[in-house]
Amino acid sequence: MPQELLQTYPQSAQSDWRFDELLDASGAPRAHWKRLFGAMVEATPQQMRERVASVDRQVRENGVTYNVYADPKGLDRPWELDPLPMLLGGDEWAGIEAGIAQRATLLNRILADLYGEQNLLREGLVPPALIFGHSGFLRPAHGVPVPGGVHLHLYAADLARSPDGQWWVMADRTQAPSGAGYALENRLIVSRVFPELFREERVQRLASFFATLRDSLARLAPAGGGAPLTVLLTPGPYNETYFEHMFLARYLGFPLVEGGDLTVREGRVWLKTIEGLRRVHAILRRQDDDFCDPVELRSDSALGIPGLAECARRGTVLVANALGTGVLESGSLLGFLPRLSKALLDAPLLMPSVATWWCGERPALEDALKQLDRLVFKPANPAFPFEPVFGDGLRAQERAAFEARLRAHPERYVAQELVRLSQAPVLDRAHGRRLSGRAVGLRVYAVATGDGYAVMPGGLTRTAGSHDARVISMQRGGGSKDTWVISAAPVNTAFSLLRTTLSSKDLVRAPAGLPSRAAENLFWFGRYAERCDDAARLLRVGLNRVVLDADDDDDTRPIAALVRAYGFAGKDEPLEAALLASATMPGRPLSLAANLIHLQRVAFNLRDRLSLDNWRTINRITQDNAFGREVTLSGTLNWLDRAIAGLMTLSGFALDGMTRDTGWRFMSIGRRLERLAFGSLAIGTACREGRSSGVAWLLELADSIITYRSRYLTRPEWLPALDLLILDDANPRSLLFQAKGIADYLERMEAMFGPCGRELLIEPMAALRALDPDRDLVPESVRLEQAVSSLGDAALGLSDRLSLQFFSHTDVRRLSTRAA
Amino acid sequence: MTSSTTCRYRVTHETAYEYGAMVTSGRHLLHLAPRDTEWQTVVEHRWKSDPDPTESSEDHDYFGNRIARLAIDRPHDRLVLTSESLVDVRARGRSVATPTWEVVREAIANAPIARQFELAQYVAPSAFAPVFTEAAAYAKRHLGTGKAWVDALLGLARAINAEFEFDPDATAVGTPVRTVLARRRGVCQDFAQVMTSCLRSIGLPARYVSGYILTTPPPGKPRLVGADASHAWVSSWCPGIGWVDFDPTNAKLATTEFVTLGWGRDFEDVTPMRGVVLGGGGQEIEVRVTMMPVEG
Repeated sequence: MPQELLQTYPQSAQSDWRFDELLDASGAPRAHWKRLFGAMVEATPQQMRERVASVDRQVRENGVTYNVYADPKGLDRPWELDPLPMLLGGDEWAGIEAGIAQRATLLNRILADLYGEQNLLREGLVPPALIFGHSGFLRPAHGVPVPGGVHLHLYAADLARSPDGQWWVMADRTQAPSGAGYALENRLIVSRVFPELFREERVQRLASFFATLRDSLARLAPAGGGAPLTVLLTPGPYNETYFEHMFLARYLGFPLVEGGDLTVREGRVWLKTIEGLRRVHAILRRQDDDFCDPVELRSDSALGIPGLAECARRGTVLVANALGTGVLESGSLLGFLPRLSKALLDAPLLMPSVATWWCGERPALEDALKQLDRLVFKPANPAFPFEPVFGDGLRAQERAAFEARLRAHPERYVAQELVRLSQAPVLDRAHGRRLSGRAVGLRVYAVATGDGYAVMPGGLTRTAGSHDARVISMQRGGGSKDTWVISAAPVNTAFSLLRTTLSSKDLVRAPAGLPSRAAENLFWFGRYAERCDDAARLLRVGLNRVVLDADDDDDTRPIAALVRAYGFAGKDEPLEAALLASATMPGRPLSLAANLIHLQRVAFNLRDRLSLDNWRTINRITQDNAFGREVTLSGTLNWLDRAIAGLMTLSGFALDGMTRDTGWRFMSIGRRLERLAFGSLAIGTACREGRSSGVAWLLELADSIITYRSRYLTRPEWLPALDLLILDDANPRSLLFQAKGIADYLERMEAMFGPCGRELLIEPMAALRALDPDRDLVPESVRLEQAVSSLGDAALGLSDRLSLQFFSHTDVRRLSTRAA
Repeated sequence: MTSSTTCRYRVTHETAYEYGAMVTSGRHLLHLAPRDTEWQTVVEHRWKSDPDPTESSEDHDYFGNRIARLAIDRPHDRLVLTSESLVDVRARGRSVATPTWEVVREAIANAPIARQFELAQYVAPSAFAPVFTEAAAYAKRHLGTGKAWVDALLGLARAINAEFEFDPDATAVGTPVRTVLARRRGVCQDFAQVMTSCLRSIGLPARYVSGYILTTPPPGKPRLVGADASHAWVSSWCPGIGWVDFDPTNAKLATTEFVTLGWGRDFEDVTPMRGVVLGGGGQEIEVRVTMMPVEG
């Protein structure tokens, strides 16, 4: 029943009238909502709950996240998506589309002038102080030619609908607009929740927008130097929209890179891969422009690519958006757009901005001060950020203080009229049969084509926390909706289907090669995963045998020695406390907990390469109640069991879930090197300390006790145990197994990269094979000790060798001299 | 002191980096070439780098200063960059009577748009010469009220000279002006940025100027090679006169003893040599400047 659906849906009161997207003035659903509304009325509570669950499940499975800086848990908040799409009629959309395309054209023309002739400033159409005082105006970008005259390749506008139904632009996004990828992800999810409706409503498709973006970059990028390569430049996993960077990179087929992955040589930009340098022709950047080149732009940027600005200047690389586009992102220019539109386009501005003033001009400041109550104040310059200030929210005292601040630096403020945002329905998650109202804003996108701008038919609808909110911000817990533009005419699906399917072009495109940084992270992922496993097993053996069965002193001595050699306990430190702390306390440098944090950090940096399950598995261990706390002995042992199980799961993913490519080989080499080094240390220590003691603990440590028992059916003895742990190349825990595996991987890599350090293993392996079991597989053997320790040394030497040869070296230093 | 004749100088500016570890790649941006001005003619300028650059180019920056970019893409553990210039400097014409600084400020605020276009970027705050309350207060205190513009600004320069102590250990390249103003210690770069901030904070335009100043050896001693340094001072604008250079470090107007390299909003725009290297470990920098009068 409609009544039930609308029972708690806020009806707009006369005094606080806001536009309702769903209902018209009479309270009936608007024409373009009728079908969706009808479907909801007919749906059973069960169906509604399934829809919500389906959205949540897809968000989780696709790993759609949004990083919230303010949140102490910080990273990885699940993306909030409402199952109900936001609907827009075709006619209304046509108006938005024309307005946004025109606005993008206008902003591009303004950028061309600011970074070229500067006639707008010379003639005062834009106050010179507005631009020259703006930290986004990048002087080194002045005079840099841009291919095709395009500064703004991708543009977004934040729209709001006022109570009279009119759409207004609240803000322009010109730096590196975010959200288009989320819009696409929302579409993939929501169209599956309402598949029939999606077809019946003839919803316009998004795929062609992204195809246009790809084509546009390919068209404007310089030629030469092999197959054209476009990369997506991200500031890294800590960025709030990193998920989107990964998603778009995959969707567009662009390698996802950080500044450290790129280098400038001979006036060109190159991607550092383990195969060598690959020429980069275009950079779709999600990194702010002022951070892009520490030589010419912000010298304190650690994220930049030294020399990038010069490459852009020479035209050897396309940077999209062009360097310097961020200057239009603050609201200070909004008030000048109508006259700029007349001056530059000889046409009225089709899509108006919310009334906005830059307070740096005296009359505007006085105007703003007179009507403080009706305005919200926003930063005019990213160099002077502050949270928006609502005039009507200020108490008398605050108001005086704010006015003083405003008068002291009026040029830092933009004043904007408050728009009472429209409300749209969202599904009440708790109830399932009820709609709630939420204030909404719409972010729409345009992409440069050879002929003007193409607008994405749809966009990212963002919902606020309540129906009467005044600010919509993902940072403050807002949500999102898919946006359906409902066409009157049939949708040309043939086009979008063609574009979403792989074409022959996709097939012949050579893989970009493994970026050196990714190889390094994979290698360390392997090493840390194995190091955690080794540490957990050693702690378990130590706590079980030394602490619990302390009277069985056969084994106590060698285990205690190994624990101290490994760094879990100082020379005279009491063992029990040291072992407990070395398990769960990350503040202890060599502890299991500390290594788990390292593992987590590396895994985090590999989020674009490892399946989400890896990430979740590590999180389960570190989010365990025992982690980071002082826990009892039995609590610690229980946690170690859980941790070991989790770490085994990780190694299972690596064996079963990853393609055997070069990246996998780096990870596996990392794992085996670590295991080799640990095994060498453990066996060496056991032999030195344990001549008179048992060897069972060593088998247990190497997870080989069951194999031993099934073979020998006796209590563990040194000779068969050492054979199993050192020379048995069928035992995945033996030293020879590790060494042979590494040699095998390196041999495969030699075909591609030439010598990679395999020679370091040859002698130690020969020494191992030359051991005479009768004479040498006893603790006393000097030859055994030498063979084992030289293998451990070789493992560490090989690690250094691989680092030197393959990994990116990003220890960038800034130089500057000063005047005295 | 000569004032009507032309002075010719040979300036040698050598910057030597000794890196603690091998640098595999380095990119540098040089602001080491003097520019021609109304009162200065560059007769000759050349620079060389050891090791030779892999590539280099010369250009002008946004402010019209001459720049050079170079890259060294092979391993090296030291870099010596030598710049040599032969420059003629003439005395600057100077009007004795200027309006008060308050009148100048008003004239600038209401200047025709073409003038605002020229001045706006030197009135606006920049990263290393910001606009802030303490700077405005300091400026007002020393400019006084109703004083002729040139005297008022010279007064401000003298105040900085008198109240700030020259102390190379007190500051580093990026020390904020606020800190310098609070601690009253620093080097010429700091003093120039303090004065720049002061002028902007009360609405007057200010350029940060980079260059050299002739030093006088102690009586009876010869001029030492390499004992000079790069210098920095401030330029501000007055209607009817144009840009006038004030040196807060030496409490005077710029004379024929000043050689101008270039100007910008603050030191970051005209750092003589800035760059980024890959690798390198620790580094030691040695700068040797020699400014020698050349008998014409």
